[in-house]
Amino acid sequence: MSIYAVNKICYRVVHEPELRQALSDAPEQALRAATPPLSEEELRALLAGDVGRLSKLGANHFLLHQLGRFRLLGLDLPTYAERIRAAYRPG
Amino acid sequence: MAEIVGGVGVPHTPHFPGIVDRGEPLAAELRRLYGAAARHLRDLAPDFLIFFTCDHYNIFFVESVPIFSIGVAPSAPGPSDYRELQAYTVPIASGLARHIQAEAVRGGFDVGMSQEFEFDHPVTVPLHFLTPRMDVPIVPVFVNGLIPPLPSAARCHALGARIRETLTGMRGSARVAAVASGSFSLEIGGPRISATSHTGVPDPDWADRVLDLMRAGKVATLVAEASEEQLTHAGNAAGELLTWIAMLGLVGHAPPAFIEAQREFGHAFGCWPAGGPGGTG
Repeated sequence: MSIYAVNKICYRVVHEPELRQALSDAPEQALRAATPPLSEEELRALLAGDVGRLSKLGANHFLLHQLGRFRLLGLDLPTYAERIRAAYRPG
Repeated sequence: MAEIVGGVGVPHTPHFPGIVDRGEPLAAELRRLYGAAARHLRDLAPDFLIFFTCDHYNIFFVESVPIFSIGVAPSAPGPSDYRELQAYTVPIASGLARHIQAEAVRGGFDVGMSQEFEFDHPVTVPLHFLTPRMDVPIVPVFVNGLIPPLPSAARCHALGARIRETLTGMRGSARVAAVASGSFSLEIGGPRISATSHTGVPDPDWADRVLDLMRAGKVATLVAEASEEQLTHAGNAAGELLTWIAMLGLVGHAPPAFIEAQREFGHAFGCWPAGGPGGTG
C-alpha cells in the first residue's frame, strides 16, 4: 500500500475531531479502520509514534507534524521535532 | 477598464494573531509590519482583492490537487485548520472570479474552479490583519506551492499577468489590488526544522536574495532563479514564494514602496504601487 494511507490519516486528524478522539481512546482500532488500509509496517510505526520511520517510508512531513500538533500516538511537538531530527542526524 | 492599483505580500504564520492579542514581545513588531501593509491597502482603496494563496493540504488533498484553482463561491468560512483562531466569513467576488477563471482557461491556463470550500489560515490570517471587517471581496487564486510537482515560477508569473490582462480589458472602473501570502524559506515538520520548534528556515541566504531582487524590481531574475530545485532547497513550504511571483505578474515590476524581512522566520512584508506591465529586470 502506498504511503498515501498514512498521509490521509494525518490529513483527517486536522479535520475530524472524532478521529482524534478515537486515536486517543483506542489507537489500534482507529488505525485498523482506516481506508485505504495501512500496511502492517505503517500501522506499527504510527502506533509507536515513530515519525522518523514514517518519514523514511515517504510520509509527507507537513502532514506528519499534525500528529505532534494534536498530541496523538504518544507525540507532542517537541517529541515530534526530536524524533524527526534524530532520524536524519549524521552518524 | 478595471484599474490595477497595487499589492501587498505578507506571511500567514498561524501563531501571529495570538502573539498580538496576548501582547507578547513580538507583538509590537507584528503590529508595525502588518500595519504598514494594511495602511498601504487602505490607501489603495481597492474594490476587490486578487488573493494568491497556497492551500495547506486542507481543501485539496484527497479528491484532487489542482496546480491552479480559483474559488468562485459567493463566500467561504475559515480557518478550517486552526479552530482556535478567530472565525470569519470571507466575501468572494464570485462573478469576477468566474470571469477571471474563464478568461484564464481561454488564455491557455488550465485553471480549476472551486465551488464550495473553507479557507485555511493562509487566507484568514492575512485578512485578519489587513481587512478584519471583511469588507473587501476577494478572488482567491490557489497556487500549488506545497505539494510537488510545483508549477514553475514562470508559469505563476504568467498567470498573474493573464489576470492583469483580463482585468484591464474589463468594462467599468473597479479598483483591484493583489495580495500574496507566504514565506520565502520555510520548513514545517521536516528534518530541517530548528531544535526548538516544529518549523525552520533552511535557506536564509535565499530569503535574503529574494528580498534583494524584489527591492530592486528585478522580477525576471527572481523568476529565473526560483527553480523547483531552489524552492525545494529552501524548505517544504518555500514554494509559497510562488504566490508573490504571481502577485508581481499581476501588479507589475515597479520596486516596492516598502519591504522588510523578518529574517528569523524566512519571510517578509512588502507593499507595491501599481507598476505597469512587467519589465525585463
